[in-house]
Amino acid sequence: MSAAQIRFFSLLRREVSRFMKIKRQTLGAPLLETFLYIAVFGAALGSRIKTLHGFDYVVFVVPGLIMMAWATNAFANNSSSILQQKFQGAIQDQLSSPASPTELLLAFSFGGFLRGMTVAAITFVAASLLVDLPVAHFLVLIPALFLVGFFFAQLGVLVGVRAEQFDDVSFAQTFVLQPLIFLGGVFYSASLLPEPFQTITHFNPVYYMIGLVRYGFLGYSEANVALSLTFLTVATGALFALNHRLFSKGYKLRA
Amino acid sequence: MTKALQITDLVKRYPTGTEALREVSLEIEEGEFFGLLGPNGAGKSTLIHCTTGLAQPTSGAISVFGHDAVAHYGEARLAVGLAPQELNIDHFLTLEETLDFHGGYFGMPRKERRERIDELLDAFSLTAKKDDRTRTLSGGMKRRLILARALMHRPRLLILDEPTAGVDVELRLELWHYVQRINAEGTTILLTTHYLEEADQLCDKIAFINGGQIVATGTSQELSARYGVSSLEDAYLELVGRKELSRALVGADGVAS
Repeated sequence: MSAAQIRFFSLLRREVSRFMKIKRQTLGAPLLETFLYIAVFGAALGSRIKTLHGFDYVVFVVPGLIMMAWATNAFANNSSSILQQKFQGAIQDQLSSPASPTELLLAFSFGGFLRGMTVAAITFVAASLLVDLPVAHFLVLIPALFLVGFFFAQLGVLVGVRAEQFDDVSFAQTFVLQPLIFLGGVFYSASLLPEPFQTITHFNPVYYMIGLVRYGFLGYSEANVALSLTFLTVATGALFALNHRLFSKGYKLRA
Repeated sequence: MTKALQITDLVKRYPTGTEALREVSLEIEEGEFFGLLGPNGAGKSTLIHCTTGLAQPTSGAISVFGHDAVAHYGEARLAVGLAPQELNIDHFLTLEETLDFHGGYFGMPRKERRERIDELLDAFSLTAKKDDRTRTLSGGMKRRLILARALMHRPRLLILDEPTAGVDVELRLELWHYVQRINAEGTTILLTTHYLEEADQLCDKIAFINGGQIVATGTSQELSARYGVSSLEDAYLELVGRKELSRALVGADGVAS
């Protein structure tokens, strides 16, 4: 391996080792949460709702849960990891190394991305044991999930870099991320909403993400798939470009 | 010969308007043991942070062994090892991981990292603790770990920012012996300290910094002569305008004569 490859994998290994050391919190808790959702929305509510757009309610919900697991874990990991390291001053070790802004940004991003992917993968395997989950469009599903993971990984980096106290991170998570995800249609179909909420939902980017992932699994989508993929790619690219600019300028990282 | 560190007209102005460094110029020869002395807030740590990439210079130039610390930061930072004033270690990591990741950030292959970790843990009497999380260490041990981490990638220029602040006598002497040895082996050292006897004993050359400016540079004797006093401490007291505190003026009963 070249020196640059060793450097990047060391930066990434550090991020992965962090969440692997606190597995109960970083992997265990989100998994339990997902199972609680499946139990409540699948077993309890599902028996009343029966089908949505021709699918069992629980089957309709599971793709959203998998996406939510990836998104929230990618976000939570990166925002917490960066803020914690800024708080301890430990981030100075990476910042005073020869690592470039791009290497630093990618390593921080992929830390959360991989944690989200791990939780999402375990959720998928576990859900597949409980319900019969189809995969209708693999070639849409994989890019959609990867883009969602990378988008929220970038959002986590952005919040972590900007944050000055732990309250800043929990504020973003509770008051921005949760409402966007919950109101984006993880647990329901937006077409069931009355106006003006149905129209308002169309301004929520998470609505298109869930649409894509649901299309990948079930083959059903309320939004235009090609347009959603394009929109998600552009949004993720824009967020990455913004973070790259912040890292290059050393915003709130270098004095 | 290429200078280990060459700083030219360095200015650092924070967004608040505070000017921490005002056209600082400084040269450290390869192999030198250089002391940077000054009161709190004089600009010592800012100068170090600008050299290591933790702060961004407003203007001026910094060159480490001929590599521009801003334009060619990769090569410049490879040559520098920083043991900062703050105990900035990650509490999640073990001692071994702390050193291993650091070596990795500087591109060291795994085998080389393993050998160097064993060597440094042994040199700083940390081997028995290598699998412990860093948060369980005493202050003195954290200080040793920070020094070991700075040395991990075999830097040619070692920067020690108040390395002996708050450590016991044994550790202070241990650190002195260690840094003197590596200096004799060729490592250039930049030391900031508030212990003037430390600078007196260790440093070949000393610079006084005050109010963001280098006000005098020379050997301990040269600085004393420049201020017309008999010790480095008195020269320092002249610098900070507190010559009334001089031990030469204070009698054995503690009353100024």
